Amino acid sequence: MLELTAPFDSSSRHRTCDGITRRTALRIGGLGVGGLSLPSLLRQQAAGSETPARGERKAVILVWLAGGPSHLDMYDLKPDAPVEIRGEFRPITTSVPGMHIGEHLPLQAQIADRLSIVRSAFHTNAGHGMGAQWMQTGWQPTIEVNDNIYPSIGSVTAKMVGAGDPGLPAYVNLPNPLGMGKAAYLGAQYNPFSPGSSPNSDSFEVRNLRLPGQVPEDRLRRRHGLLSSLDNIRRDVDTEGEIAGIDRFYRDAVEMVTSDKARKAFNIQAEDDNLREEYGRNDLGQSCLLARRLVEAGVTFVAIQAGGGWDTHGNNFTQLKDKLLPQYDRAVTALVKDLSDRGLADNVLVTSFGEFGRTPKINSGAGRDHWPGAMSVLYAGGGLKMGQVVGATNSTAEYPTKKAASPGCVLSTIYHVLGIDYRHAFYDHARRPLQILAEGRPIEDLI
Amino acid sequence: MQNLCICALAVLSQHSFSAAGRLAVLCLLLTGTGGSTALAGLDVVPSEVVLEDSFARRQLLVESDGRDVTRTAEYSIADETVARVDETGHVVPVAAGTTVLTVSHQGTSATVPLRVSRFDGQRSVDFATQIMPLLSRLGCNSGGCHGKASGQNGFKLSLFGFDAAFDYDAIVSEARGRRVFAAAPGQSLLLQKATGASPHGGGKRLETGSENYRIFSRWIASGVPASAPDVPRVASLEVVPAERIMKRGVSRQLAVLAKYTDGSIRDVTRETQFSSNLDVVATVADDGLVTTGGSSGEAAIMARYMGEVSVFRVLVPHGSPLDSLPGFEPAGEIDRLTAARWMKLGLEPSPVCDDSTFIRRVTVDLCGRLPTTAEVESFLANSSPHRREELVDRLLDSPDYPAFFALRWGTILRNSRLAGADQAAYAFHNWLKDMIARNRPYDEFVRGIVAAAGEWQDAPAINWYWQMRDDQLHQVTADTAQVFLGIRLQCARCHHHPYERWGQADYYGLAGFFTRLGRKSFGQPPPYFASSRVTTGEKNPLTGKVPEPRFPDGEAVEFTPEDDPRHALVDWMAEPENPFFAKALVNRMWGHFFARGLVDEVDDLRETNPPSNPELLDWLAADFVAHKFDVRHVIRSIVTSRTYQLSSVPAETNQDDRQNFARYYARRLYAEVLLDGVDAACGTETKFSGISSSARAVDLPHEGFGSYFLDTFDRPRRVSGCECERSSGATLAQVLLLSNSQDIEGKVSSETGRIASLFKAETPTSAAVEQLYLAALSRRPTEAELQTAGKYIDESEKRRLALEDVLWSLLNTREFMFNH
Repeated sequence: MLELTAPFDSSSRHRTCDGITRRTALRIGGLGVGGLSLPSLLRQQAAGSETPARGERKAVILVWLAGGPSHLDMYDLKPDAPVEIRGEFRPITTSVPGMHIGEHLPLQAQIADRLSIVRSAFHTNAGHGMGAQWMQTGWQPTIEVNDNIYPSIGSVTAKMVGAGDPGLPAYVNLPNPLGMGKAAYLGAQYNPFSPGSSPNSDSFEVRNLRLPGQVPEDRLRRRHGLLSSLDNIRRDVDTEGEIAGIDRFYRDAVEMVTSDKARKAFNIQAEDDNLREEYGRNDLGQSCLLARRLVEAGVTFVAIQAGGGWDTHGNNFTQLKDKLLPQYDRAVTALVKDLSDRGLADNVLVTSFGEFGRTPKINSGAGRDHWPGAMSVLYAGGGLKMGQVVGATNSTAEYPTKKAASPGCVLSTIYHVLGIDYRHAFYDHARRPLQILAEGRPIEDLI
Repeated sequence: MQNLCICALAVLSQHSFSAAGRLAVLCLLLTGTGGSTALAGLDVVPSEVVLEDSFARRQLLVESDGRDVTRTAEYSIADETVARVDETGHVVPVAAGTTVLTVSHQGTSATVPLRVSRFDGQRSVDFATQIMPLLSRLGCNSGGCHGKASGQNGFKLSLFGFDAAFDYDAIVSEARGRRVFAAAPGQSLLLQKATGASPHGGGKRLETGSENYRIFSRWIASGVPASAPDVPRVASLEVVPAERIMKRGVSRQLAVLAKYTDGSIRDVTRETQFSSNLDVVATVADDGLVTTGGSSGEAAIMARYMGEVSVFRVLVPHGSPLDSLPGFEPAGEIDRLTAARWMKLGLEPSPVCDDSTFIRRVTVDLCGRLPTTAEVESFLANSSPHRREELVDRLLDSPDYPAFFALRWGTILRNSRLAGADQAAYAFHNWLKDMIARNRPYDEFVRGIVAAAGEWQDAPAINWYWQMRDDQLHQVTADTAQVFLGIRLQCARCHHHPYERWGQADYYGLAGFFTRLGRKSFGQPPPYFASSRVTTGEKNPLTGKVPEPRFPDGEAVEFTPEDDPRHALVDWMAEPENPFFAKALVNRMWGHFFARGLVDEVDDLRETNPPSNPELLDWLAADFVAHKFDVRHVIRSIVTSRTYQLSSVPAETNQDDRQNFARYYARRLYAEVLLDGVDAACGTETKFSGISSSARAVDLPHEGFGSYFLDTFDRPRRVSGCECERSSGATLAQVLLLSNSQDIEGKVSSETGRIASLFKAETPTSAAVEQLYLAALSRRPTEAELQTAGKYIDESEKRRLALEDVLWSLLNTREFMFNH
């Protein structure tokens, strides 16, 4: 994997147009030249003292509302619009004077001073796959495919920042891998790590982290002893250094399996029952709680798949008020409060959005369809300015009228929190130097 | 008239080979690549310096005994009122006149006549030929800066300067004209920003008062004139010299000459952008100074100027050239050509690998599976001198060869089940398998895909089109170029290819063959047919019209409504002299068997990315054409070569070799092959739902069969025509899966598996260990390994568990995971 900041400058003394030298960019990425092909997790270990001090470390929890959440019923209500648009939900006041949100987010209303809402996000693609790819990568795909063409923000973070602790992955998806959350041309080592089951389940555990039943630890140690005496192939028979890289993964895997650091981080059962209740005993709630444990332990980016029910083509209002919003309201509120209780509010950004908003006009099945023209994005903490509503849409919430925020704006705000230069470029498969984001700049009112 | 003349002068009069000008005002001159003067041991290029304009420049190149001494030689000019020369050998005119330039180096010297034939200090700077190159050179219009689609801070230029009119407008008319200020050029925003006088995100790009600064400033002062519409364009670029062998840690100066459409030639060394494709071998500075590093190998230094490219190839030998390669016996032309390269580079090949290694390597590469223990044992017992060739023939005739290559092709041909194509994907997979099994000529194979028409039951390859339906014209154009021609043309959809001569005209010319593809409105995929009418709404942005067919780097063609232009495209591909088609296939095959193409990546053939062994690539392509596109012949030639059979263990002189195949480059098994390999070693099977229970992972026709194992090892989702979708790079999840999962544990300890049967049969320890080695690593254990594993088993309380531990260990060795 090659990378560069200045596409055609081969010498390191050149500055890019963004004014950073290549050398600096490499340092920002936490990389030395020798580390380019090394997995993020190991790289951080190698970097050793360069890992930012505990207090400065930033992390992100993305609550991904797969399917496309209805902005009109959550954060951008239009009580004065005709009934076929405004729907049945009413706005309520919040702890921030003048900031109104939907009545089915009462808990968030109480902590509105710790939230900011961007009402003016938008793009132009109404397909789930393409919209999801755009919102998670900042690049608009031209073709509907079921995999990443561009790297997701989590994968970019894994590559550029790595994990805060060598025994943990940098980027985790909960409970399962997200649709467009992969690394594309950054390489498989930056794909998300996922436990593969829900932390809400009583039998939750991370796939392949616990020793298989018939292999107690002493047997595992004997095996590794045998392996090291039988694994004799020279480490330089390939040309990419991959063999040597895998060796280090083995050492780490043994460490992960035998030490309890990773298992502890994933051990949601260690949380107090009352707190687990507060987050909500469901996939989303427990994933949010687990995400907090993970960022505390050293994971840098957690993306949570908040169910798939947000695609409310039919019975929008019933689905939202009976299931989706109560769970979501509770989980996000608990997460934001928990993080501030632990003094982590400024270090951890919680953000929530989906691939698009929903049609202002209610369809004949009391549903709302796909609408990328306007959507709302929630930010909480991370050192951003809270207690605000940023931007606005027109009277029917069809499109932004103020401070329109493209996908690049939404994502660059997150990169800003992480200290990642989103203008840094990587080569794609066609050897085109592509910047992390195609466009956009951080939303000014938030920083 | 006055203006036009000045304008033309600006462009035409820099340098020229031509002896007779078309315009009376032009004084023409003789320089260029030809002619050098060799006096007293110094070789100076050019032999005469003629500068015919105040903007003309000339980079001298000085060699002594084949060594570049341009930077160490000393220069003087007899009459410095005529011209000046700096210590790098760069000559700049001062006034019209004639004088003599003297070059001296370590006691020897040479003189070169120098003439400034015309010096018009007042002539205006031309936008297209002087300002545009500077915008590129300074990086202003690069993809990271103002060249990107959204521009930078409200200032947008065309990417790499492909649109002069757009850029002129952006600079002169936008921002209410603040970017240029003729009355005080230095106050222009353009210069304020570029020099860093006013805050600039891109930093300081230009030194106030520098030569480039003065060019900008003179252009602005003269009222920002636009270029005449008919200014000559750069027709080609030449780097001097074209190729050299250099030692490690030395430098050499390059010169770059641009030839214009009117025949004139200009030295553009200082306006050219340089880059190296392999920094560890050689780097290049802004002024064209190439410096070799600590690594040997070959690098291509690309020079790019106004959309044209040229390459300087540098070869840094590993050691002194060799006269012979004792111990290496060429088996055919491939070996003769690799050997010639190795001798030139001072590389000694590793020895030929042993039989165990060979049978594993070739079975994995041809059939996508491990050899069985019986196959290994019988091969090891075979003493025929032709046993390797016989094995290759047997494998090529087996059904596993078409099965594996159908997987390889199906991946880059996007054979997916998406959009209702479940059945069509099966059919396409079977079609690929059948074509490969029958070894149909490659052009026929490609025709079946590129010119597919009909219902999917009859022409299953239409799934290739169907999977690209959302953006059909563009995706099909790009995939056709990349998969079948080895050209990555997609850049040229929007702008001139930054590393190649391909422009939008080439891209839309190829797209022109696909504009009359119709599809019905029923079925998934629906039937495709050649329509008599245009079926796309896409336009060529250069003409505003529907793209018209033109062969890449060739002629435009017209078709009647009855024709299917796609057939003409395949006809053109299959012409023996087609420069892309055969090369792309043989390079792809080479890449498959050697883990790296002769051109790397395998589908990125271009002048600026030259092959590591051009003679070999040419020979393979010619041989492929001569054998009527017989793919099996190519494969057979490759795998029966000694080169393919070299050990992967580096020898002392080829340790650094990563380009010339002086040893075999090990690589990880593909996801599907690895899973099947685990099963083969364990004596188990993995069942996939929705397909015959005997189907192995390599038999899966599309990506839609759920498998945690395959996904964890990054099986391609078939979303790209690029081989590179099969990414390498290990992950923690992979290691956890192999070393610590119930999945693998279940296979290792399966009641119907290999361990269970070895245990139940009470197989003696050494025989059991040998069986496990043969099954997993396709070789017998060494004495030491037998000792270690035997001791482990015999000293263990639970024999069966100990046997399992040995198998677990073998599955977790790098030797198992890699084809080596």
